[in-house]
Amino acid sequence: MDSYTFQLYSQILKTFWRIILIALGIAAVVVLFPFMKDVLTILIISALLSILLSPVVNLLESKGLGRSWAILAVMVLILGLLVFSFQMIVPRLIRSINALTDRLQSGIIFDYNQKIEDFIIKNFHNAELAKNVTARLNELGFQLLGSLGALFKSVGSFLASIVIIPVVTFFMIKDARHFKRAFISKVPNQYFELSLNILYKIESQVGKYIQGQAIDALIVGILSIIGLFIINLVFDNPVPYFVFVGTIAGLGNLIPYVGPVLGAIPALALAILSNPPHLGLILIWIIILFIVVQAIDNALISPLVVSKSVNMHPLTVIVAVVIGGKIAGPVGMLLAVPFTGVIKVVFSQVTWGLKNYKISFPSKIEEYSVLNRKR
Amino acid sequence: MENPIWGNGIFRKKKKEEGIFALLKQVPIFSDLTARELVEIEKIVHRRKYKKGELIICKGDPGLGMYIVVEGSVEIVDEDKKAGQRRLASLTKGSFFGDLALLDESPRSASATASEDSEIIGFFRPEFLDLISRKPKLGLKVVLALARVVGERLRRTNELLIKIPEEKGTSSNG
Repeated sequence: MDSYTFQLYSQILKTFWRIILIALGIAAVVVLFPFMKDVLTILIISALLSILLSPVVNLLESKGLGRSWAILAVMVLILGLLVFSFQMIVPRLIRSINALTDRLQSGIIFDYNQKIEDFIIKNFHNAELAKNVTARLNELGFQLLGSLGALFKSVGSFLASIVIIPVVTFFMIKDARHFKRAFISKVPNQYFELSLNILYKIESQVGKYIQGQAIDALIVGILSIIGLFIINLVFDNPVPYFVFVGTIAGLGNLIPYVGPVLGAIPALALAILSNPPHLGLILIWIIILFIVVQAIDNALISPLVVSKSVNMHPLTVIVAVVIGGKIAGPVGMLLAVPFTGVIKVVFSQVTWGLKNYKISFPSKIEEYSVLNRKR
Repeated sequence: MENPIWGNGIFRKKKKEEGIFALLKQVPIFSDLTARELVEIEKIVHRRKYKKGELIICKGDPGLGMYIVVEGSVEIVDEDKKAGQRRLASLTKGSFFGDLALLDESPRSASATASEDSEIIGFFRPEFLDLISRKPKLGLKVVLALARVVGERLRRTNELLIKIPEEKGTSSNG
């Protein structure tokens, strides 16, 4: 066996073992995923928080504060805001859900059932069909309430981990550079600059993308809250719990195409349940509000704050949302699009790196070795 | 480098790497910095070991930052299809190269290869930009020093350009 064949053979063997190791790694992640779900959730939330808070920490650091103190100051501020908003919002939320349940139990369902049954009997002359339709609708309604309860249960476990998340976030912001250096120190020399450049670009673009999405969601949420507040002022409070509804609209905005509809549905449903005078007009105003908010978002906010490099095809968005929902329920649906955006950034940057850097390094090293030997 | 996962980040007593600080102080873009500022620089540089003949940067690749030779030696080589490979310089301990890549991502103008087993420090543009945003005073000091280095190089290039027609004139007259 000549030396070239030997080198080729060892290279193929190395590649084979690498593929086996990667496959085993992926299999381990898939098998361990159910057990690691909570840990992964904490890590993902902490990573998102560290991306969102880093610019503020950097700003405080540039004003002369030490990095650890800057992180602590931001964390205390955020925790203070969270405690304040929980104190303000959670009791109201519980009150509003109780009120909603009372309303549902106090015959409003019966009224609507009766109206639907009458409508079907009048138009289709089929009493059995009317009974089936109302039974099915009721079943769906209770299923929806049940899943809402499950969501709040998951929020409860989230609250339990709220102690761990700030600690993890603190170290993620403080030691991000050390983690990166430790990771990059394991990369072989011939791929060092390529990997480092790709890593920097991914870090920068993912950061911009997530910060942009968060700012966009915040502005859409605030605009929706203001709009619903004005509608409430004009029409004598037809949309109760409008802060909650606006928050949902802001969060829903993380999902392109589907988000705006998701944002409008709770507002419309609450208005219908309140059953105020001029209901039709109110519903039209709510629809107009969400169309205007979307128009402002698409024309003014998104182009300024959301990175253009992460434009996604509607089909990609739908597939991502469905898969996200299957894996992690409503939270998964919400995080599916940003997560796909991150994957897209990683993929495009790796492709950029492979295109721009000459990867045939080992042969080049040989060339230089030959050059050195000749000299 | 200490492992960030297993290393104790709070009670860790930092070892003063006097040698590295002295070496960084030799580099013109860090020469004005105080010991405390050099500690900040030390936190963001990457230390790498290269075997003899190993390529450090390749001509044409996007530039990412500069390198400082800590141990060993590095050869700067220009590759050209017509002229072949031309040795431009041999750099030893304390020398630096690739500093223009701190300014933009222009392709590397030459390749660098370790001519013996070497230890090298890398200082890269994204970390530099991050440093400017986090510590503007320190960043400004480095930017001014970098501008001085580039300005000095431009002055020397101008002098050489002026000399060329003079030399041509002398040779054509002679």
